[in-house]
Amino acid sequence: MVPKLSWLRLDSHHMDPVEFFSNHIFRMVFLGTTVIGLVAGALGAFAYLRKQSLISDVIGHAALPGALLAFLAAVTMFGVNGRSMLLLVIGAVITGTLAALFANTIAARTKVAIDTAMAISMTTFFGFGMLLLRFITNNPFPGKGGIQDYLFGNAASITRADLTTSIAVGALAMGLMVVFWKEFTLRSFDPVLSTMLGFKARIIDTLMFTTIVIAIVIGVKAVGFVLMVAFVVTPPAAARQWTNTLPGMVMLSGLIGGLGSGFGAYLSISLGNVPTGPVIVLVLFAILLFSLLASPKRSVVITALRRMRARRALKQELISEGSTR
Amino acid sequence: MSYILGVVLLACTTALTCALPGVFVVLRKHSMIVDGISHAVLPGIIIGFAIVGDLDSPVLILGAAVTGLLVVLGNEWLTETGLLAGDAPQGLIFPSLFAVGILMVSMDFQHVHLDTHVALVGDMNLAAVIPLTVGGVNIGPEYLYVMLGLLLLNAGFIAVFSRALKITTFARQFAEILGIRTRLLNTAFMFLVSVTVVAAFNAVGAILVISLLVVPAATAQLISTRLSVMFALTAAIAIIGALAGFWIAYVLDTGTSAAMAVFYGVLFVAVAVAERTATRLRRNRHQDVKSEETSATLVRSASVR
Amino acid sequence: MTSTPLACESQDLSVVYRDEPVLRHVNFRVPTGSVMGIVGPNGAGKSTLIKAMLGLVKPLTGHATFFGQPFGDVRKRVGYMPQSASVDWDFPTTVIDLAVMGTYGELGWIRRPGKAERARAMAALEMTGMQDFASRQIGELSGGQRQRAFLARALVQAPDLYFMDEPFQGIDAKSQQAMIEVLKDLSAQGKTIVIVHHHLASVLDFCDHVTLLNKRIIASGPGPETFTKDNIRMAYEASDGAEAFLAEAG
Repeated sequence: MVPKLSWLRLDSHHMDPVEFFSNHIFRMVFLGTTVIGLVAGALGAFAYLRKQSLISDVIGHAALPGALLAFLAAVTMFGVNGRSMLLLVIGAVITGTLAALFANTIAARTKVAIDTAMAISMTTFFGFGMLLLRFITNNPFPGKGGIQDYLFGNAASITRADLTTSIAVGALAMGLMVVFWKEFTLRSFDPVLSTMLGFKARIIDTLMFTTIVIAIVIGVKAVGFVLMVAFVVTPPAAARQWTNTLPGMVMLSGLIGGLGSGFGAYLSISLGNVPTGPVIVLVLFAILLFSLLASPKRSVVITALRRMRARRALKQELISEGSTR
Repeated sequence: MSYILGVVLLACTTALTCALPGVFVVLRKHSMIVDGISHAVLPGIIIGFAIVGDLDSPVLILGAAVTGLLVVLGNEWLTETGLLAGDAPQGLIFPSLFAVGILMVSMDFQHVHLDTHVALVGDMNLAAVIPLTVGGVNIGPEYLYVMLGLLLLNAGFIAVFSRALKITTFARQFAEILGIRTRLLNTAFMFLVSVTVVAAFNAVGAILVISLLVVPAATAQLISTRLSVMFALTAAIAIIGALAGFWIAYVLDTGTSAAMAVFYGVLFVAVAVAERTATRLRRNRHQDVKSEETSATLVRSASVR
Repeated sequence: MTSTPLACESQDLSVVYRDEPVLRHVNFRVPTGSVMGIVGPNGAGKSTLIKAMLGLVKPLTGHATFFGQPFGDVRKRVGYMPQSASVDWDFPTTVIDLAVMGTYGELGWIRRPGKAERARAMAALEMTGMQDFASRQIGELSGGQRQRAFLARALVQAPDLYFMDEPFQGIDAKSQQAMIEVLKDLSAQGKTIVIVHHHLASVLDFCDHVTLLNKRIIASGPGPETFTKDNIRMAYEASDGAEAFLAEAG
């Protein structure tokens, strides 16, 4: 169940950065997670601004059965490597999208509210994924070793081909974002004006949704599906505290995601026998906390102090006003 | 009591224990908060297990439930700062707590040997292994009695606070005027949900427990207009799902909780489709009358002008 | 009346939310060059009327035309200012970026705003006295400044017909004065303005036409002859606000 990193562990107790980067596999791990973090962070900014953070959690959990079905299709029907990154991404995009549509359909067509609809969709798809996982582990499929890594990821399993796929798919999604920047911005900020000006809502929503799903499923191998929501939500939430412009937010969010993930992956390998996803999540959370506390304009500490001082001054004023009257 | 009967009873009791508070979770639109709670209790459970050494111990259950409350209070705090947009606060805290739990599991924290797979979806069969014997007689799994105790607690809490919960759900401001301490009541209720999640962890794990909590109540919501009816239907659906899930898992040799989650999901869709079809048929039958009625009122209002 | 061409008109517009009628048979006509105020109690369907005319809400019956044509053919001639409450003020955008959004319609898909668009946005900000706040994030503005920033965006669109949803909501006297000046300018240029408004006492200060709405049109036409006590009373069905206003007005 736990990622098998024992062969990496040999040097783990005296790992320094020079040694880390001179190792081909470690370099691969670092680059792979950095790309994932960068793409998820940058695209997550729009998910955050569309207030679609929790649907990312649904998509992440629901991507599991898709990736497993892709694995099964690959080994039983095509006889190819079931853990090819491209197949995984395709399978994950399909079920992730279905789950999001399912949740939205429930909310639109029944009296069940959207949060419950999301919970229903998520658990049904994830439950199905766990049934598939059990089925795969119970049967002798070729190349099923390490399939459990889809849950929490194993950065050491990233191959050169995976890295290429991540970069290609990630670049495609980022390209869409750059090309349709103006439309994405207007639709997120003022959907009414966007529709009025003749931009078809359905086209923009489909494009935006595609980029968000890609941002989530791209992390399957390195960080797993269960925690992917943090990669999409945390960097934009942290970035928002430091900048007031959208380009600034997207760039900073990508930077936080990329650097945070790279650093987390480095830590997870240095520590030895730990899955990568959780370590990165904690690094990202630390960055968020720092941002909430230390951002010069929005810091919770400074705001609280300022408010306290203003209240005290006001109280003095009111008291002296009362006494002169 | 035979082992199989023990497992079946355990599945039913767990389903029922989770489903009852689920009614108010669904009505109060707290489903995704419960998702956060269920992820977040993992580190609490592991630390508790390292100290107490027994997943069924009430000390562990109450202690670990506090971690779940961290999510509820943390979400509230993040929302109140006003620094974050939309539903983001709900997606920020629980992944970190869950990540801590997973790291503990994979690093064999304090030699707690917990399978990651079990942490996610539990293991009903394993949970029912230790029997409780009274006077040399096996009266079923020990864990069954833990869940039964919690079922009584949940039912008791809901019975006592049903009116207050109802008012705070549908008319919060009115409830405050009446002197109901809505925030305290909400925290207490969420703590109870958290306790339920922790207690059910052994059998259904951290992720699928939300299915047991939310889906029966949501299915009942589709076809009920009164709270008492909704409770009755929720209980019935919970038990049907437990039995069906157990049977599917038995036949396919797979995990009970995953089978239950899938069954609940499919049942929800079936009920939703049936309900819509019934409504459409009813509407078609009244169509002519109704459309005439609508246009008549519209015409009347127009002629008034 | 009939000789004036209409800037926009709705015919038999009815809107239903779920099974609750929100608008019934609304025939709404706005003469070109007029400043039309839409007033009515909460829930009277004021915003819905605008949304239905612009095709943002699907009407159950009826349709709307703009300058005699369907909205899709004359989009560029219609501008819009949203209700303040519906705006996400924490969105990371600056005042100048907001104003530039007014050029997006004519840019069409994919093309980006350039120097010319920014210059036009800046000019519009100067008209509403917001040029000094160009690089502020929109949430850092006061209530009046916020509305002036959105007014600038509408001006950038350079439409012939403006829809404004409660533009004077929560603003200071100075901002209100600045905005009324701009509205008068626009009116003098022959532009048509439709304003959703809920402060009865000030409607006639800047509107020459009034429509009293409460799910249906109670009365609509030139200000003084439409905005009568009886009509107001009928529209508000003895709601407190109107009673107080009527008592004050004597």
